[in-house]
Amino acid sequence: MNNLITVNDLTIAYPMSDGEIFRALNNISVEVNRGQIVGVVGESGAGKSTIGKTALGLLDENAIIEGGSVSLEGEKISNLSEAGFAPIRGKRIGYIYQNPMTALNPVLTIGEQLLETIEAHTDKRGNAAKAYAIELLEQAEVPEAEDRLSKYPHQLSGGLCQRIVFAIAICARPDLIIADEPTTALDVTVQKAVLDTLKKLAKQDNIAIILITHDMGVVAEMCDYVYVLRYGGMVEHGPTEQVLAHPSKDYSRELMAAIPRIDKKVDRFAVPGGMGKSADRDRALAFLLRREDRNVIVDDKPLLTARNLSKTFVTPATVVSAEKVFKAVDDVSFDVSHGETLGIVGESGSGKSTVGRMVLGLHQPDEGYELTYRAQDLSSLKSRAERLALSKSMQCIFQDPYSSLNPRMSAGENITHAIKAHGTVGRTEAHELAGDLMELVGLPRGNVRKMPHAFSGGERQRIGIARALSFRPDFLFCDEPTSALDVTVQAELLNLMKDLQSTLGLTMLFVSHDLAVVRQMCDRVLVMKAGQVVESGDCDKVLVDPDHPYTQGLLQAMPRFSFDMG
Amino acid sequence: MLSFVLRRLGQSGVLVLIMSILVFVGMYVVSDPVAVLASDDFTEEDRIALASELGVDRPLMVQYFSFLSNMVRGDFGTSFVYNKPVLPLIVERLPATLEVAFLAIGIGLCVGVPLGIYSGLNRKRKSTKTISFLTTVGYSIPNFWQALLLILVFAVWLKVLPASGRGDTTMLFGIELSFFNVDGLRHMLLPAINLAIYKICMQTRLARSGTQEVMFQDYMTFARAKGIPRPRLIRRHLLRNIMIPIVTITGLELGGLIAFSTVTETVFSWPGIGKLLLDSIHHADRPVVVAYLILIVMMFVVINFVVDVLYALLDPRIRYT
Repeated sequence: MNNLITVNDLTIAYPMSDGEIFRALNNISVEVNRGQIVGVVGESGAGKSTIGKTALGLLDENAIIEGGSVSLEGEKISNLSEAGFAPIRGKRIGYIYQNPMTALNPVLTIGEQLLETIEAHTDKRGNAAKAYAIELLEQAEVPEAEDRLSKYPHQLSGGLCQRIVFAIAICARPDLIIADEPTTALDVTVQKAVLDTLKKLAKQDNIAIILITHDMGVVAEMCDYVYVLRYGGMVEHGPTEQVLAHPSKDYSRELMAAIPRIDKKVDRFAVPGGMGKSADRDRALAFLLRREDRNVIVDDKPLLTARNLSKTFVTPATVVSAEKVFKAVDDVSFDVSHGETLGIVGESGSGKSTVGRMVLGLHQPDEGYELTYRAQDLSSLKSRAERLALSKSMQCIFQDPYSSLNPRMSAGENITHAIKAHGTVGRTEAHELAGDLMELVGLPRGNVRKMPHAFSGGERQRIGIARALSFRPDFLFCDEPTSALDVTVQAELLNLMKDLQSTLGLTMLFVSHDLAVVRQMCDRVLVMKAGQVVESGDCDKVLVDPDHPYTQGLLQAMPRFSFDMG
Repeated sequence: MLSFVLRRLGQSGVLVLIMSILVFVGMYVVSDPVAVLASDDFTEEDRIALASELGVDRPLMVQYFSFLSNMVRGDFGTSFVYNKPVLPLIVERLPATLEVAFLAIGIGLCVGVPLGIYSGLNRKRKSTKTISFLTTVGYSIPNFWQALLLILVFAVWLKVLPASGRGDTTMLFGIELSFFNVDGLRHMLLPAINLAIYKICMQTRLARSGTQEVMFQDYMTFARAKGIPRPRLIRRHLLRNIMIPIVTITGLELGGLIAFSTVTETVFSWPGIGKLLLDSIHHADRPVVVAYLILIVMMFVVINFVVDVLYALLDPRIRYT
């Protein structure tokens, strides 16, 4: 009985509306000792968060514990009532939430949220409580701790909010902290610093951590022991180095192979899946290659030239605040040649998506810019026909596969709605084409009539790609196309996009926050910071041996998945 | 801040102007004050004399502009019926209406919000289903019918509350108020309850949907995970967040109550401005109707402004962006 927490054969079930039962966890056993950092990894739907929620009694009302138990120091806690959990929550088990921006109550000050926790778990009151709050914030490495007490969450950055969540979690010096994807919502440079702090806090008070994450790099840097989950079942577990470097099960091997690596470029990720039935695929390709005299190459000039792009956003005054001006993009220039992929990387708020949106004409750039596409000045386009030809030729794949499809249209209608409206194809032809395109992006054509909600995130993104392709574009703007997806799904999609690009000769502008993804996908890259390009050049140079300190910092902050795999 | 206030003022000026044109022209088209005010034995000369005395013999444009220039100087004209300046006539009736409106809104908030939070927290209980059923009933039964039932039960059968009139009042700062007087309060109760039933139903539903939404937010789960006692969880974390939409709607509803509680005031013979409006429309008393509606427009502007400020106080994200 020397385990701190023991999850024994736990099975959690959810009754579904159709009478079926969904098992979020299936016979899962996890053991954690004092002071140990244990990783629980898996893709979405693996049930990793359910383990943490069971330990704290935070499961949804309709969840049923079908079997097994969770014990804290030999004492069974999984069957306690809401009141029974009171002496455990915050006191013996701390919790760190995925998104620090939503974990803190937006209408209460940091001080109030910290003090109420102190008052709930200690007998410190008044000035003593306040002094302790400041001490906690300092331990969590929050600068200007005293000042922060009167601030509201939205006034602070995500990284600071997560440190405040840490301070709250260690307030009663618990034996265990459950950290549920603690850095997923943060930029890579912030992530590193925040993880270092978490590790330091754990060491200082000998706190054990269950680190729930999908990021193998984070696991490699933080954990002593790791459990790999899939669809609620245990795939394998063992010491981190053994599981990551020499995975014994097929799924773990696939998972490791799907991780984009920064250190070397591969042609394809070693994951199964690809394009669908060959006859349908060939028909789709034939349609896509039948581009209306658009593949004429004008001299050897770049396909797209952008000069002095800037964008200023103005927030109008309201009852309590004055007008605010924000310069999202500041004087950005670049060229994209035929068949090339140009990457734009940067942290959130660096203006990388805004650049792409200006190229597509979704944002009007500030005066003084120049945008040339196929040797044509875009601001000079006046007629409707010219504009239509342009928007057919430049298409977009959006970040969020959930909101970028019309939920009231079937998959097929989503794909061909616009080209039907343009008169490119007739109704029966469109239906046929939708099926062909779905096969092309690796979805069975039988799914043409299904509605978007019936597809998974990765499948929806495939529909989004098929929709973009239906216009027979020359140029694709990909705005973080895989950042909402699991790593194996991401690998499949990136494979697909590489295949399509080489077959169709597409030119791409690829925006991502993930340096490794850009390394795998792009020929050249722009590194953006606060609206400006700090460095640009070939990926093999910029992402391997960068000149600018900012890029060097980004590379160093990336969690390394450094075990060499055989 | 200042530019926002100025813009608001400009917008409301335009609003008042449009409103005055609409009401002025509307009243001109639908009613003839001379026909309403003249007695049967009036000769043609008497009628012409009356018309010129009221000023309604002039062309519409001339009448409107003379009204407008008077209004800018703060003179809303003279009532055709009471032959008194309009403004004091309205102001004199206003406290009665305001009192009932505030009492009704107060009852609505004090009953509706707790009921809503309760049903939001205990979604599967029988009592929640009962509450939800009752709010639907309260929504659907017409206001005047509720008023008649209230009179029947409390005034006719139980004989515990008076059915009509304002009862005794207390003078405070030169205003007659029923609030500080037992008899006045008793008289106020039935009309206030009548107006409050609808508000209770609405606040219950607002609070319930707000609670259901907020309870699933990450910060509520996190607050539970950090071991915050349940009473505090509800008082600080939940209530503060659900108050934001409630304040917005309550502001609009308060304006609606003050302006258009006409039916209730008529049923309970409550001497408020709602009743004055109805009488004035009846008697083609154009100056009163126009002045009344313009005042209402201004009142809505003020209420909306107060709501915006409260909103900023409740939600720091608006305060500091």
